[in-house]
Amino acid sequence: MSVLECNGLCKRFGRTEALDRVSFSVEPGRIVGLLGPNGSGKTTLIKLANGLLTPSEGTVTVCGRAPGKESRAAVSYLPERTAIPTWMSTAQLLEFYRDFYPDFRMDAAREMLDHLDIRPGQRIKQMSKGTREKVQLIMVMSRAAQLYLLDEPIGGVDPATRDYILSTIIGNYNPEAAVVISTHLIADVEKVLDEVLFLNRGQLVLQSGVDQIREEKGMSVDALFREVFKC
Amino acid sequence: MLMKLVKHEFRATGRVMGLLFLVLLAAAVGANFSIQVLNGSSLSLLRILGALVMSAYVMAVIGVCFVCFFLMLQRFYRNLLGDEGYVMFTLPVSVHQHVWSKLMVTAVWYLATGAAVMLSFLILGYRAGLVRDILQGLAQIFRGITAYYALNGTAIVLELLILAFLGCVAFALQFYASMAVGHSFSAHKIVWSVVFFFVFQFASQLVGALLILLLDETPVHQLLLSLNFRLEGMAGIHIGIGLMAVVFAVYGAVFYAVTVYFLKNRLNLE
Repeated sequence: MSVLECNGLCKRFGRTEALDRVSFSVEPGRIVGLLGPNGSGKTTLIKLANGLLTPSEGTVTVCGRAPGKESRAAVSYLPERTAIPTWMSTAQLLEFYRDFYPDFRMDAAREMLDHLDIRPGQRIKQMSKGTREKVQLIMVMSRAAQLYLLDEPIGGVDPATRDYILSTIIGNYNPEAAVVISTHLIADVEKVLDEVLFLNRGQLVLQSGVDQIREEKGMSVDALFREVFKC
Repeated sequence: MLMKLVKHEFRATGRVMGLLFLVLLAAAVGANFSIQVLNGSSLSLLRILGALVMSAYVMAVIGVCFVCFFLMLQRFYRNLLGDEGYVMFTLPVSVHQHVWSKLMVTAVWYLATGAAVMLSFLILGYRAGLVRDILQGLAQIFRGITAYYALNGTAIVLELLILAFLGCVAFALQFYASMAVGHSFSAHKIVWSVVFFFVFQFASQLVGALLILLLDETPVHQLLLSLNFRLEGMAGIHIGIGLMAVVFAVYGAVFYAVTVYFLKNRLNLE
């Protein structure tokens, strides 16, 4: 069964068509790049899969279920902004995630926090923006979820942090799960992707395996992206 | 899951409310000292200081009530409709559970604030004769009501307190609904929230006025008269308070439904 499936998915905001009849499916064990320029509908698609928005038309299912209370238990979501409660201490945040997600791996989270020298009593609001983002990523990747939806995990961070983020994702995701990474920074994520979805102006213009692109088109995903989205 | 939400909500609000209660009780101790020592002093400076401490206590009482009310609204706004909403609305819990958790914690803090203010009154009047005077005054009022109307005056006071509590909860739900509707717009979310608060206020007043008209100017009035109710004074007051409680419950239920609908179907986080 597909972990994530969209059928004729449309989302309109007033007269603006954010997503236009998007259909695709993502199988377990795949790392998928959701790629497209700014405003192409990547975040809208991820929000729809999380139930943060409701579709105007079409359907989206996660592990065969419409987004809701049950599907959320299977999804680990990294929003594009830092959303963890800043009044909490790190220890309280760990307890928060443990309380709500039975698949939360407390030991793995503690180990990653120790690695960054983050003390349990340290408050989130006392941390720098970059550290907050890392803590949020650690919470998300410490879950043994069935689907990871990561919205712009490497946007707006320095190259060293990008490497840290990607290694945290690759080193901690549940291998039986699917990972969807939304980004427009193709060159950095290309090496970890199995598959790509190209979105342009709300429409799905390509779904293909990364190896297939290299073999059939004789170019990297980054080069293909530049060609497809040439201004 | 509901109790887990409640637990974390208490943790988020408790650190502020706990501090406020401590400040209030400290101000009450100061005010008591002011009544017993400073006000009777022959030095005018000490009497002025006593008056300042008393006014600080009054400000603390007003402040605790206001902060309690606005903190509960701010929690709803920040935790569900701000950035934290991305974490909260992707938890495996329902929208009903989110709203109930906020409402339950709000209700508990309203009651706790009432209790803290009462406790501060007791501290204020401790050994200053005020507690005795207040209790004696209240007992006299209750006895008077009971003797005059042959009904329990204490019950009326309790019913009025419950009514005030229900009113506060229903009013909080009106704020929740305004924020939920206002934040469904893609821009000027706070402005829309304020606009919808006044729209709801106007709508509820309009409905109230229409209901009064319905009872007074239509055949319903004649029907009620024909039923020939005979209520003694106090029984009428009990029924009146009961009916008001039902009105508040319906008022709150309508805004609860609006809040849940908009959070479920029209959520539009920035």
